[in-house]
Amino acid sequence: MYFAHLSDIHLGFQKHESLQRIEQQVFEKAMDECINRKIDFILIPGDLFHVNIPEMRVQKYAFAKFRQVYDAGIPVYVVYGSHDFSPVSNSVIDLLAEVGYITKVTRATSNEDGTISLKFLIDEKTGAKIAGLSGLKVGKDREWYEKLDRTFESESGFKIFLFHGGISDMKTESGMDGDHMPLSLLPKGFSYYAGGHMHKFNHQSFDGYSNVIYPGTLFAGYHADLEDNANGQKRGFVLVEFEKDVKSVEFIEIQNTAYEIIEVDANNRKAESINQELLDKTKDIDPTDKVVIIKVKGELTSGKTADVDISTIRENLNSRNAMVVNVSKNGLTSKEYSITEAKGNNKEEIETNVFSENIGQLRFEYQELLGDEGIKLAKKLLRELGQPALINEKKNEYIPRIRDNAFAILGLNKDDS
Amino acid sequence: MDELSVVGQVVGGSFGDIVIRQKAGTDLEIGDLMVSEENGSFLILQVFALQYGSQIQDKMQQMMSGVNLEQGVVDAHFYEPDFVNYVLARIKPLARVYKENNDVKIPKSLPSFFNKLRLISKDDLKFLQKEKDSIFVGYIRSGSKVIKEAEVWLPAEDVFSHHMLIPATTGRGKSNLVKTILWHVLDTNKVGALVLDAHDEYFGRGGIGLKDHPKAKDNLMYYTPSNPPVGANRLTVNLQSIRPEHFEGIADFSDPQFQAIRMAFRKSRKNWIRDLMLTDAVDAGMESSSQSRGEFAAATMMVVQRKLRLLLSLEKDEEGVVFSRHEVFDSTTKGLNTVDGIVKDIEQGKVVVLDTSRLGDEAELLVGNIIASKLLEKYKDAKAGGELERKPVATIVIEEAPRVIGVDVLTSRNDNIYSTIAKEGRKFKVGLTAITQLSSVIPKTILANMNTKIILGNEMKQEREAIIASASQDLSEDDKNIASLDKGEAIITSIFVPFAMPIKVPLFEDIVKDKGIIPESGKTKVF
Repeated sequence: MYFAHLSDIHLGFQKHESLQRIEQQVFEKAMDECINRKIDFILIPGDLFHVNIPEMRVQKYAFAKFRQVYDAGIPVYVVYGSHDFSPVSNSVIDLLAEVGYITKVTRATSNEDGTISLKFLIDEKTGAKIAGLSGLKVGKDREWYEKLDRTFESESGFKIFLFHGGISDMKTESGMDGDHMPLSLLPKGFSYYAGGHMHKFNHQSFDGYSNVIYPGTLFAGYHADLEDNANGQKRGFVLVEFEKDVKSVEFIEIQNTAYEIIEVDANNRKAESINQELLDKTKDIDPTDKVVIIKVKGELTSGKTADVDISTIRENLNSRNAMVVNVSKNGLTSKEYSITEAKGNNKEEIETNVFSENIGQLRFEYQELLGDEGIKLAKKLLRELGQPALINEKKNEYIPRIRDNAFAILGLNKDDS
Repeated sequence: MDELSVVGQVVGGSFGDIVIRQKAGTDLEIGDLMVSEENGSFLILQVFALQYGSQIQDKMQQMMSGVNLEQGVVDAHFYEPDFVNYVLARIKPLARVYKENNDVKIPKSLPSFFNKLRLISKDDLKFLQKEKDSIFVGYIRSGSKVIKEAEVWLPAEDVFSHHMLIPATTGRGKSNLVKTILWHVLDTNKVGALVLDAHDEYFGRGGIGLKDHPKAKDNLMYYTPSNPPVGANRLTVNLQSIRPEHFEGIADFSDPQFQAIRMAFRKSRKNWIRDLMLTDAVDAGMESSSQSRGEFAAATMMVVQRKLRLLLSLEKDEEGVVFSRHEVFDSTTKGLNTVDGIVKDIEQGKVVVLDTSRLGDEAELLVGNIIASKLLEKYKDAKAGGELERKPVATIVIEEAPRVIGVDVLTSRNDNIYSTIAKEGRKFKVGLTAITQLSSVIPKTILANMNTKIILGNEMKQEREAIIASASQDLSEDDKNIASLDKGEAIITSIFVPFAMPIKVPLFEDIVKDKGIIPESGKTKVF
C-alpha cells in the first residue's frame, strides 16, 4: 500500500505569469504522478493554497485536477495551513471538501474541562487511521496541542498524524526563524507524522516519534524558495509504502524550471565595482527561459545602496529572453549611511539626537537638507508620515493625503519627479 | 517607645560591639533585629552574641549550685531572680534610617547610653520598597521570627550582571532559594538565564516547579535529553556545535592531544569529532612519517579518541554512525540549531533550564561552555554595535561552581568561559549565579567580584570564614549567626542592599500555591 505526502504547494503565490504557469504545471505533474502510480491516498498537511480564497484562475485548475484525482478513486486528506486557513470555514479548502474532492481530517471535540479530544478518521481502503490539527499563524495552534487529551496515543494500528507547523527539533539551518514548536507537543506513538510548513524536505525519527517528515514546498511559497531552487534544492513529494508499519519512504522529485543565480558580496566595496562584477557575471550566463536570481549582500564602504545599478542588468537580461529576473538587495547596506543610535529621555529627544548624530553623513547640494534645517525638516516629515488614518478615512484617501502633505513639507510637487 | 515593647537597654560596649541587658520575660535570639529610637532617625541593630550576666559573683553561684545539687534542696530559688540574673546581648548597628525620607545610611555613631531598645517591626522597614524589575528573595527575618510584611527585593539587572554567589551546604534550602529566584525572574523578560540543572529539580517534571509559573509558557524553556514532557524541548547538541576551544579549562588534554584535536578541526571543520572518532588510529599512526607534517602518533590519537568517547559518551553503530549513549550529542542532523535557539531564548529574556542530570560532570560543563561562549560572544557584539542596552541581562546558573572557577582548576588548566564571565562578564551584562558548598576553593579575586551573596547555613568554619572575608558588608561578627542559620534562613550581603539583611526564603510550594497557574476550563475552538 502506498500514500503520497505533499505540502506547502502555495497555489496562487506567484505573481509573474511565467512562474504562475510553472506553479500550475508542477502541481498537476505531482497529481498525475499520484494517479499514474495508483496510490491509495494523498496527504496534504496545509498551505495547499497561498491564501484561503485565491483568484478564480487558481481555483479553476485546482478543482479540475482534484476532480481527476477523485475520479481515480484516490482520497485526499488535508488540514488547513497557516496560509489557507479560515476560522469560519470560508476557504477554498472547504469548497473542495464540500464537493467531496478532499477530506479535512480534524475531528476535534472541545471538552468542558478545557481539553481537546481528537478522533481518528479511517481510510476505507487501507484501514489507516488518520488524525490531524490545522496550523495557525504565529503559533496560535500551540494551545491546541497543549490541551490535547492524549489518551488516543494508545490506539493500535497504522496511525498517521497531519500537522502544519515548524518543529524546533528539526531545524537544520540557523536563521530559520519564526514560530517553531517542540516535537514533544505532537502526540506520541504514530507510525507517520505528515508535516507541513517547513519548505525543505526533511525526514527524521526520534524516540517516540518515528518518521516525522516534511516533503517541502512543491515549487515555491516564499521568495527565498526560488533562491533555494536556484542553489539546487530538489522539490517534489514523498511516496510512502506501508503495511502494518512504514516500509519505505521515497522522495519523488518534480522538476520545475531552469535557474541562474548571481551572487555578489558587497562587503567593503564600492558600488562601481559591484556594477562591474554584475555586468561581468551576467555576460557569462545564458538566461534564455530561465529564472535569474541576483543577490547582492554586504556593506558598501561608501555611496548609496541605490548606486548599485540593478535596472540596467535587469533590462539586459530581459532583452536576452530571461523568463524572470528576481533581485534581492535586502542584505545590502552602506557604511556611509548606517544609522547610529542616540539616547534621549523621551521619544522627541531620541528622534532629534538620532537625526543630529547622523545628518553629518549626508552629502547633498541642497542646504535645506543639511544641518539644523535638515533636522527640522526630517522631524516634520517623520511626524507627518506617522499620522494615522482619520476615522472613516479610506485607504485610497489616506495615502494621497499623507503623500501630498509630505511633498508640501519637502516643497515638491507631484510632478517634480 | 511603648514600655511593653522594650526588650533591652544599652549598658556598655563599643561601636560594633554594644552590650545590652535583656529585659526579663523577653527572649532574644542570635540574629534578632532591634531598633533604637534617636532624634529624627532610628538605628537598626542586630544581636550577634548572647551571654549570661549576674549580680552574684561566679564562685558564689557555683556554691549555690552545689547546695542545690548535692544537698537536695528542692525549693531553693533566687531572691528577685529577674533582677539578679539576666542575659546580656552583644549587638552591632546595621543601619541608620532617617524618618523624614526613609533614607538609609551606614551608621557611624552609638545609640544613646542607657537607651531602651525594641524589636523591629514592619513599620520600621518601609524603606524596603519593591522597585521595577526586581526579584523577590524572601522576607526580613529577626532571629527566627519572620516579618512577612517586609519583603526583600533585589534589583534584577544589577544583581545578575554583578554575579551572585549562593554558598550553602546540603539541606539548607539551596534548591528552594534558586527556584524562588528563578520564579521571580520568570515574571518579566528583563533577565535571561541559562540554568544547568544537574539534578533536574527546577522545572518540576514530576511535581511542583517552575513550569507552574503563569508565564512559563512564554518565558520558560526546558530542555531534556529523553522523553521530554509535552511542550518541552529535546536537549540534543550536534557535534558540529563543538569547537576545540570548548574543551579548554573543562577537560584534561595534554598539549600533543590538544594539537591533535586542533589539527582534526582544521582538517574536517564542522564534522571534526565525527571524522576523528571514525579515524583508524593505528592506520593513521602507521601512515604518519613525521610529526612535523601535522600528523600524530597512533597512541596520541587513541588517547584523544578514548577521552572524547568517555567525555561525550560516544559510540559507533554498525553503519559507522557516531552517537552518544545519553542522546545529548548527535553526529547526524539533529540538534544543529539547539545552541543558537537557546542563546536566542536567553537574549529574549527567557529562563532556559537544561536537564543535565544524565550527563557526566565534564559533559555538562561542556554543554554550558558551548552555550555560554556563544552568549558572551553575542553580547560582546551587541556592545560593539551599541545595542547592549536593549538586551536583557543574562545569568548562567551553575551548581558546584568550583568545578570551573576553583583555584585548582584555574591554576592547572586554561581559563574557561565561566571564569572569563566571572572576570569580565559584567561589562557585557553577562553574569554568573554560582552555587557552591565550597566557597573557600574559589579564588579571592573571583569571590570579591561576586557582589551579591545569599548566604545559607554552613557548619564548616573554613567556608564561613571565606564567605565572611569576601562579603560586601562587615560580617566579621556573624560567624555564629551563619552557623546557626536554619533551613531556608539566609543573610544577603550585597552592594545593592543597605546592610547585610537576614531573610527567610519562603517555601517554593507556598509561592506556587499563591501565584501558580490556575487551570483553564471551558471550550476552545478547534478548526
